[in-house]
Amino acid sequence: MTQMDGYAGKIAYVDLTKGTIDIQETPTDLKRDYLGGRGFGTKIISDRMDPLVDPLSPENIFVFASGPTTGTGIPLGSRYEVSTKSPLNDTLMSANSGGTFGWKMKKAGFDAIVFEGRSAKPVYLYLNEGAAELRDASSYWGMDVHATTDAFLSDLGDKKAKIACIGPAGEKQSLLACVINDYDRAAGRSGAGAVLGSKNVKAVVATGNLSIEEADKDRLNAVKDRIRTKLQENGICEALTNYGTAVLVNIVNENYILPTHNFQSAHFENAENISGERMAETVLKKNSGCFACIVKCSRICEVDGVVNEGPEYEPMWAFGANLGIDDLNTVIKAAWECNKLGLDAIGTPTAIACAMEMQEKGYINNGPKFGEAAGIVELVRQIGLREGFGAELTDGSYRFAERHGHPELSMSVKKQDLPAYDPRGLQGHGLSYATSNRGGDHVYGYMISPEVLGAPEKLDPYTSDGKAAWVQVFQDLTAAIDASGMCLFSSFALDATDYADLTAATMGIDLDGPGFIRIGERIWNLQKLFNIKVGYTKADDTLPKRLLTEPLREGGPKGRVWEREPLLSEYYSVRGWDADGVPTDEKLRELGLK
Amino acid sequence: MQVTVKAFATLRNIMDSKFTEELEEGSTISDLLTTLMEKYSGLSDEIFEDGRRELKDFVNILVNGRNISFLNGLDTTLNNGDLVVLFPPAGGG
Ligand code: SF4
Repeated sequence: MTQMDGYAGKIAYVDLTKGTIDIQETPTDLKRDYLGGRGFGTKIISDRMDPLVDPLSPENIFVFASGPTTGTGIPLGSRYEVSTKSPLNDTLMSANSGGTFGWKMKKAGFDAIVFEGRSAKPVYLYLNEGAAELRDASSYWGMDVHATTDAFLSDLGDKKAKIACIGPAGEKQSLLACVINDYDRAAGRSGAGAVLGSKNVKAVVATGNLSIEEADKDRLNAVKDRIRTKLQENGICEALTNYGTAVLVNIVNENYILPTHNFQSAHFENAENISGERMAETVLKKNSGCFACIVKCSRICEVDGVVNEGPEYEPMWAFGANLGIDDLNTVIKAAWECNKLGLDAIGTPTAIACAMEMQEKGYINNGPKFGEAAGIVELVRQIGLREGFGAELTDGSYRFAERHGHPELSMSVKKQDLPAYDPRGLQGHGLSYATSNRGGDHVYGYMISPEVLGAPEKLDPYTSDGKAAWVQVFQDLTAAIDASGMCLFSSFALDATDYADLTAATMGIDLDGPGFIRIGERIWNLQKLFNIKVGYTKADDTLPKRLLTEPLREGGPKGRVWEREPLLSEYYSVRGWDADGVPTDEKLRELGLK
Repeated sequence: MQVTVKAFATLRNIMDSKFTEELEEGSTISDLLTTLMEKYSGLSDEIFEDGRRELKDFVNILVNGRNISFLNGLDTTLNNGDLVVLFPPAGGG
């Protein structure tokens, strides 16, 4: 029977050890309390798994989940999430991706896939109109992401199938391995690809054309019209269409918060050469978008006769300013190599940056050097294949730096590397880094929006006043957006009431803005409880020593470091947690978690 | 006195990306923008709300890397050698 609530209606529980699949209805209370995406992954893993399992053992659980808005035609309703216990840092991680895979998973009849156990040989999961089947993937093992995707499309003779897969990095269980769908769309962080690799799962292939029906179409159409207008009139969304995320290179650099040379500085002299503006003048062919997107922020570029999607701002920064490299073609080719190998395009270059500083300081003598573009693409290949010097970096900067006696040179939080904004000039964003439930990360609470861009209002980036409450709202709202299936970039234009209205009309439920944020808060607290059981404490809610003790030397934020207190204590307090950062019984009862 | 001006993103369709500008001692950001709007038609539409001397949402102006919203806004006084940066609405993730 067709669902009338935006969902496909089924979850496939795949026991890889036994080779069996149990297809169940998507539970009503799971939909109501957790929506989908990050919510489904967090709840399913919390319920079914001991947080202390080895992330690369058969006992770890891996979830793919879309949300109620995914694939319904709501503008920017395109996303799905992967969730698992991270092998990089043991957190209950989720990573988000766009493209068309999340939509197709629902057209194939499934809201979520739950993998448990380990297959004896490489397999892929084939989803087609309510049926799910494990198939032999031996012939695809060893192929890169692009070759794998091409091979599936050709072997199945089905050009409409959509593929999410791992590359060689996932097969080698690199802790930087990601999951990639639609050739170049990455659920990028926290090493999720290594978990699929450890389970011998090469891919999920989805096909079919089942209908996705919403509960209240008239109401939904009215909300869609409203949000379409808001998105079209929003200046930031317009800039995303024109320049993509790479427009941030110059913005962040001019604010003197663009990490350079492994965060030794926050200003890159040659940023213009690796900017979105330069990309638009030179290699850009056109823009493109995920399913039903009217913003279309993605870039299609051509370098040396090769055409691919991307890169985004983060890899442009990470292979550019942070390595001291201003050769745009090298930066783009290195980012593309990450996609082909299925590597995190942030964590891979930041591991290289760490190695460059170790080399500069004389702690190693066979590493790469800041500013040297030659050899970077080859180094990425080695990292993905666990070969040569690259093998040193395959499991990320933290393990590398620690092995060589200098963990302080890993610019990471909870062993996951920080992205492209120096928190010394961004007190609120620094708090977001320190408290993110998956470690160093920018998309679990993007405080850049108010602290740099001015959305929804301008907040002074150098002060801490009131920031704890802002961070909480951003984290919770983002968790709910990630659960709903909407793209986070919609939040430049939409507010919690818009998301609640979209979700309510799709699902046929009552939901208001605070109720929507409350779902995010529930997810956030559940992730936090998992991480506490793993052993994380208040001591881990901090930033690398450099960012606490070495003041910035230039521009507006000159002389500043990130001030942990009183921000962190205020944050625990606004969250209703105790002084050690543990959710109180009262808070858990309020959220229905006790 | 002289200040350096940089413009980014879509502003580059209507003005130079980097240049210096001579100003009277004691000039403010507002004075600078008046001068620039005379030179570059279209600038006013890009940065100001219709018919008002109020920055559009998400337009950001920096002086030496500091957002003028946290200095003295459009009345921020400029000094010889300052770097003024103009951003139209732009961003991403
Ligand atoms: S804004 Fe960009 S990332 Fe978001 S759905 Fe559209 S194309 Fe995809």
